[in-house]
Amino acid sequence: MSDGDADVLVRSELLLLGAFALVVLAAAAVGPIIADARPAFEIPVSDASEDENLDNVSAQGWDAVPAATVSLSSTGSSVPNSGSISVEEAKLGAAQTDERLYLRLSWADPTEDTSTGSLRAFADAVAVQLPNDTDSRPPIAMGGSDNRVNVWYWTGDGRTEELLAGGPGSTTNLGASELTADAGYSDGRWRVAFSRPLDGSGENRVSIPDDSDLDVAVAVWNGSNMERSGQKSASSWHYLALDSDTGEPPYQTILWAIAGIAIVASALITIEGVRRTRGE
Amino acid sequence: MSSQSDDGDTIDLAEGVDHQVAMVMDLNKCIGCQTCTIACKTNWTDSGGREYMYWNNVETKPGAGYPRDWEEMGGGWDEEGQERTPGDLPDQSEYGAPWDFNYEQIMYEGSDEPLRPMDDAADWGPNWDEDEGAGEYPNSYYFYLPRICNHCTHPSCVEACPRSALYKREEDGIVLVDQDRCRGYRYCVEGCPYKKVYYNAMKKTSEKCIFCYPRIEGEGPEGEVRGPACAEDCPPQLRMVGFLDDEDGPIHKLVNEYEVAVRLHPEFRTEPNVYYIPPFAPPQHSERGESLDAERIPRTYLEELFGPKVNEALNTISRERDRVRRGEESELMEILNSDRSEKYRLEVFDR
Repeated sequence: MSDGDADVLVRSELLLLGAFALVVLAAAAVGPIIADARPAFEIPVSDASEDENLDNVSAQGWDAVPAATVSLSSTGSSVPNSGSISVEEAKLGAAQTDERLYLRLSWADPTEDTSTGSLRAFADAVAVQLPNDTDSRPPIAMGGSDNRVNVWYWTGDGRTEELLAGGPGSTTNLGASELTADAGYSDGRWRVAFSRPLDGSGENRVSIPDDSDLDVAVAVWNGSNMERSGQKSASSWHYLALDSDTGEPPYQTILWAIAGIAIVASALITIEGVRRTRGE
Repeated sequence: MSSQSDDGDTIDLAEGVDHQVAMVMDLNKCIGCQTCTIACKTNWTDSGGREYMYWNNVETKPGAGYPRDWEEMGGGWDEEGQERTPGDLPDQSEYGAPWDFNYEQIMYEGSDEPLRPMDDAADWGPNWDEDEGAGEYPNSYYFYLPRICNHCTHPSCVEACPRSALYKREEDGIVLVDQDRCRGYRYCVEGCPYKKVYYNAMKKTSEKCIFCYPRIEGEGPEGEVRGPACAEDCPPQLRMVGFLDDEDGPIHKLVNEYEVAVRLHPEFRTEPNVYYIPPFAPPQHSERGESLDAERIPRTYLEELFGPKVNEALNTISRERDRVRRGEESELMEILNSDRSEKYRLEVFDR
């Protein structure tokens, strides 16, 4: 075998190894997306534009926003019948523009309860809970006195409220708010779209971060089951993936990159060793 | 908190309350005229989602009351007084609702129909079973029972609210609903065994008797301290108003010394601060109209309403009546027959 043949062999081996390393890196990047291996508790956040009108619950743009399924359970609250709930899961989709965050919730409820106009009438309702201080995670049950939560609340009798809470029973209406809610009921399912400027404009209203994830929890009330207050179907803490473009944890990419480089490097060392033993 | 009285007995007041307003109603004087009801209504509940509410109502006993069968709806505390017992949320129909009469047709449209309720008329309302009572002729019986919020020492409505929207005022123990804190959950409506908290479906909050606190604070007519409107406007003046811990006042004497003023349904264990002088009735009659030596209102029924203490209360009053009949003096009977000037003692404590 001539020197020229050996050079060709080494070059082709290097090409092959390089290609393999690229495949490894690419797999690290797209693999989780293909497999939809979204981390538990993550709510993906889609980029959207203002002209998609996502504050409208039935806007077409919502079709392109992936919704995560969120499990709901009773809260263990001290109010009577707190264990009696009727909704076990909700879907939560999220999108943002440069100015606003949009959240759309939907859940199955066979009864459309929109009245609080008589003594035994309770309206269906939904709430989204966000931490006021985005750096720490408040207690799940309405936050804590030194770790408050900002709650976006819609009820079937037509009210939308932005609330502040620092523990069970402390919910306080923040008054004038730029929060909007649009709701629709069809085919035994409620759909409610919340929208609010990213900027909270005040210490008691969370400002939506653009460089870190944001904790989020949801709760649903079924009026015909006389659900209100702590008698509700509530989720555990999830998070809105606001941190990076793909939303996947960065350590995965780093680990796969290191592995790829190590494979290529060890291959090169092996080839160089082979060449030396051959006395080339 | 409790305060020590001269004879060593303690007067139990709620924790954190300086004084406790109280009312004694003498059921032997109630004529069922509903003047108290209207006085309250025109002051506080004539509109704005309060049309169905009667913070003061007068119902016929025995009878289903207002709301209908409220005594069967639960609420209050368990036997140890520690755990609340769950209560029911009444249906609107159990209170009844105002309805219209056919005035328009008769007065302006030439109708020949008699005056009568329109089709929207309810089939139940406050004191719907007026004067029905119980028993068989010639020994049927009934009496009237005026009711307001009892401003309890151990109020289960306060405990029922997960938001602490209901509270007892520190200065006088009046139970109020903070309208800014209330979010219309209605746990207080369920939790009150007397069903004296009402949901306002227009305001989306619960409301109740406020013991006319602006009047007792001197914010009423002519800037004078006045008793609650239900008491002041009562034609037979059957109510005394003052403080339970005013040891020189008639309420303390009737409740704590003579023990002739008793609580309605003490078994609910909310410790009401409205007390009743239990009713007497003429004795039973024979078929021929002769008076018999038997009480017309069964003691068992009065015990159901007022607990076992009603027996000693009735016995004491009977004994004191006999003293007066014999020409002897009776402080108790003087208190029970006192005039208007002694019925309201609202300025004994610095406020």
